Amino acid sequence: MYPLRADCRYFSPMRYLTSFPRLLPALGLSLFLSGCYSRSDMKSEEGAAAAEKPWAEMPDNVRPAEAPGVEAPEEASDVVSGAAAQPLQAVNVFLEVSGSMEGFMPKTGTSGENTKFQQHVAQLLSDINRTTAAKQKSFFRIKEKPYADTYPGISATVRSGIQQPAKSTELPAVLDTLMTRYYQPGTVSVLISDFIYSPKNAGAIPYIKTDITDALQRNGAQPDLAVSVYGYLSDFRGTYYPALKAAGKKTNCCNTEIPYYIWVLGPADAVRRFDAALLEQQPAKQAHFGVTYPRPAYSVLDKFQNKGAWYYGDAGASKRMAGTYRVVAVSEASAQQPVEFVVGLNLVQLPGQYKDVAYLKQNLKLEGVDTDAKLLDVTPATDQTKASSGPQSKYTHFVKVRLTQQPKAARPLVLRLQDQRPAWVAQWTTRNDGTPAPKTFALSSLLDGLAPTDATRPIFELPLTLQPAE
Amino acid sequence: MKAFFRFLYELIGNPQPPADTPVYRDVIFPNLGLLNLGISAGLALVFYLLINRAMGVATFNKGRHWSIFLVLNALIAFFVTIWQTNAQQVTDHSYIYWLATWNAILGLAWFFIFSLLFKRASTNASTTPF
Repeated sequence: MYPLRADCRYFSPMRYLTSFPRLLPALGLSLFLSGCYSRSDMKSEEGAAAAEKPWAEMPDNVRPAEAPGVEAPEEASDVVSGAAAQPLQAVNVFLEVSGSMEGFMPKTGTSGENTKFQQHVAQLLSDINRTTAAKQKSFFRIKEKPYADTYPGISATVRSGIQQPAKSTELPAVLDTLMTRYYQPGTVSVLISDFIYSPKNAGAIPYIKTDITDALQRNGAQPDLAVSVYGYLSDFRGTYYPALKAAGKKTNCCNTEIPYYIWVLGPADAVRRFDAALLEQQPAKQAHFGVTYPRPAYSVLDKFQNKGAWYYGDAGASKRMAGTYRVVAVSEASAQQPVEFVVGLNLVQLPGQYKDVAYLKQNLKLEGVDTDAKLLDVTPATDQTKASSGPQSKYTHFVKVRLTQQPKAARPLVLRLQDQRPAWVAQWTTRNDGTPAPKTFALSSLLDGLAPTDATRPIFELPLTLQPAE
Repeated sequence: MKAFFRFLYELIGNPQPPADTPVYRDVIFPNLGLLNLGISAGLALVFYLLINRAMGVATFNKGRHWSIFLVLNALIAFFVTIWQTNAQQVTDHSYIYWLATWNAILGLAWFFIFSLLFKRASTNASTTPF
């Protein structure tokens, strides 16, 4: 193997030059040779060559919606370091122990079998109790108000059943308590419940969304409030209390699984870190409201499924660090000879919902000006890409883009992931829960109440630039 | 300087494959250009000022001796290109050999120009090649 850095000192005319003062031009030439270039030289030049900003003259719909000055916020690094580096101040776990929860936590039968709820929640409580991601952990049982409990106490409740079931608790009241008493920076509240919300009178049912929103925002605006909802199914052995009381309670329920949920409430940053540390490992249905994520690492890849005449157009492209390429310079593009390039995305820090390839295919949008660039496909990393020695090994997803028109000048291109309510919410929602089913009464109305006012905010925006080759 | 070498080496067309364009333009072209100039000047110096002046060799000053150096220089230019493209890990492509050939031709031209510059400073070969 040759060394990467070229050694230029191949001939040294100096010795002869001293005797031939007339040969100054040759001396000049030898000085040229000291300016030998190599790929690894020039990281330092990178900063100097400030990237062009073709955004300035662009219409608003394609300009990345970042506040000026906070460009490229915390770019996600390759490892999940945030949670470990800075533990949360506190985690408050609230377990609802009303009568409707009894079926999830039946008293242990003679054969010793338990429900999925008991298995899962007991493990989760243990994980929370042991985690290093938070400094302080508190456990509460929710009756008409939260009662402080201990880890052993609450764990025993989950394992061996509720001793004294409380009367049904009003969800807005619970949320209001959590918001007024437990909403702190760096603190999350974890609410474990079946979320069967039955308003006292049927006339309040159309206002469920409003009641939830009011409860969450009663003590003034909490602009960074975020809620993550994780949904699970469990077998259920006990009395089932539907939200619609007219349907009457069902004893010895059920042959079907019943949903239960974990809601994580808190400031956006704290919720994101709690989710990543404790809830992302297990498969679950999930929906996120108001949670913000650092921009994922991404780069154009010039030797991965590339087609056509294009190359990295970034300043100092040959010397940049791998994974920082954002400019595509197109030398030639036509319908016969289209240009195809792949953008690698590292979505490892996003929750499962947004990493799902089906979700990405539907909601990842490519927006540009003056271009016919189209998003062809989104593919997940394969064993082959992960084992590759190329830069593609660093990415979890690949977005392929095709264009057939040569750009006329530098033009922005944005990859934007829309925040879309996942389809399971509609599937798990019912208007009449009189018959037990793996559905929850008015679930989508409940979640409507969680949606922040700027619900159109994308999960991430990744700016790229298309430009003609020089 | 970079722009000049880019112009010089892109006379035979754009680098291939296109993805390697930045490496060729930023690294390989300037390296090749400077090495080629330096080696051509060096060989001309050796022929005119070392062999035919400082060492006083009297039997190595004919046109055919000059041609040996001319061809040697072209060969070096060819293989320097192969070495440089390998060292910068560009994708294998027939373009590398076109570039090497073009660099050899440029080597011939440089050597000829340096010959014109240096021949008058030589004692034994001041009329070589003409």
